Amino acid sequence: MLEYQIFFDYTPMLLLGFWLTIKIVVCAIALGIPLGLFLALGRRSKFLIVSFLSTSFIEVFRNTPFIIQVFLFYYVLPFYGLKLSAEYVGVLALAAFGGAYFAEIIRAGIDAVPKGQLESARAIGMTDWQAMRNVILPQTLSIVIPPLTNQTLTLIKESAILSTITVHELTMTGLMVQGETFRPFEVFIMVALLYWALNETVATLMRKFEQSIKKKRNPTSDSNSSSTVEKSEGTK
Amino acid sequence: MTSNFLEIKGLHKRFGNIAALNNVSLNVSKGEVIFVIGPSGCGKSTLLRAVNWLTPPDKGEVWLEGELVGSSSSKLTIKQSQLLNGFRARMGMVFQQFNVWPHLNVLENVVRAQLVVAKRKRADAESTALKILDQVGLQNKIDEWPDHLSGGQKQRLAIARALAMDPTLMLLDEPTSALDPELIGEVLTVLKRLVNNGMTMLIVTHELGFASEFGDRLLFMDGGEVIEEGPPKKILTMPKTKRLKMFLEKLDVTSFKKEEKL
Repeated sequence: MLEYQIFFDYTPMLLLGFWLTIKIVVCAIALGIPLGLFLALGRRSKFLIVSFLSTSFIEVFRNTPFIIQVFLFYYVLPFYGLKLSAEYVGVLALAAFGGAYFAEIIRAGIDAVPKGQLESARAIGMTDWQAMRNVILPQTLSIVIPPLTNQTLTLIKESAILSTITVHELTMTGLMVQGETFRPFEVFIMVALLYWALNETVATLMRKFEQSIKKKRNPTSDSNSSSTVEKSEGTK
Repeated sequence: MTSNFLEIKGLHKRFGNIAALNNVSLNVSKGEVIFVIGPSGCGKSTLLRAVNWLTPPDKGEVWLEGELVGSSSSKLTIKQSQLLNGFRARMGMVFQQFNVWPHLNVLENVVRAQLVVAKRKRADAESTALKILDQVGLQNKIDEWPDHLSGGQKQRLAIARALAMDPTLMLLDEPTSALDPELIGEVLTVLKRLVNNGMTMLIVTHELGFASEFGDRLLFMDGGEVIEEGPPKKILTMPKTKRLKMFLEKLDVTSFKKEEKL
């Protein structure tokens, strides 16, 4: 049987943890998306050092378990004199992990813009960066919103792992409440509901954002496909 | 020959085993309209793209109005690449596939590079854009999005975008090849007006009628080399080389076949 009293008694405590989860995730995304953009551009830089470092960063953070990254950040950084609170470590770890994935999403988005777009921008006299900023990245945006949303949802869920380094976010709070009440079902149902509500909200907002861009540009079908022919012309 | 408006000296470009440009040199006077024809893969597009260094040649130099645009012998420094961007703005390029910017409306397509590259004020850029859009017949479409334009309208927009930079030279890479036959005329009309205004142009095309009527000179390229060169009417009616004869025959045959199908 459900003990409804638990829902009332412990909701404030769980909401506190939920609030910390939101703050951490928002900070991690606010850092992670610019980091991802930087890494994506860095990866295609003509300076070998920059592209090597960017690629290495992406590969390391994409190909190791997040929980190990968290442990490394939390237990290893202090050895090098960097003592940060668990919350900050959590934000940094999430931003680094997310940034690596965001970078690959953004890179794929850049690659998906037809080659002729960059060429026409360069041919009119734009620098590489001006072409990126004015022509390529704005077109990348509508392409990358769905995968970026996916990755954001993953990041929100992965933040639960920060409970292992004593961050009092939602999962940690849930564990504590369950320790006091010995009612795992009630507690974790609430925890799950809160994660679900957050993700559903994010997904809905992003979908609205995507639709508003599409509506503005009225995209039909052909403008992108037409440039694939031009590509073969350019490489011969 | 230093008084030349555009000087192309000994361009070489290889893609793997294929020589796209094999020692191509060309001098262009101001106001001259030069058409380049040749079979697919002959290097005609590469020639155009080498002039504004979009495809840097392996060997050779390009000079515009006495200034060095690019040279294969010197590495591209930061200063030189800045200069190159300036040269590119002066050499308007039009692509076969239009490459208009779908995230910007018609007006903004013509305005953006004026702001970013030429550093003009928005008000000035917009009035220039409106004037030029009027010239290419898109004055009623300024708020439209490129995805809603026809191919001919897109290409006229691309021409307007290039013209807004006040180019001294236009490079047109098969400007009508991607268009439905009934849309070619509207683009040719705009190009004819450019010819009449004395614009210097290098045009890669398959429109032989257009070339013979409006060209000052015609180049026939094959295998990365200029095979024949001279006044269009003379070259098209009295080809000297076998290769050009064959090329023209093939074009005739295909156009004949098309008519037959209709």
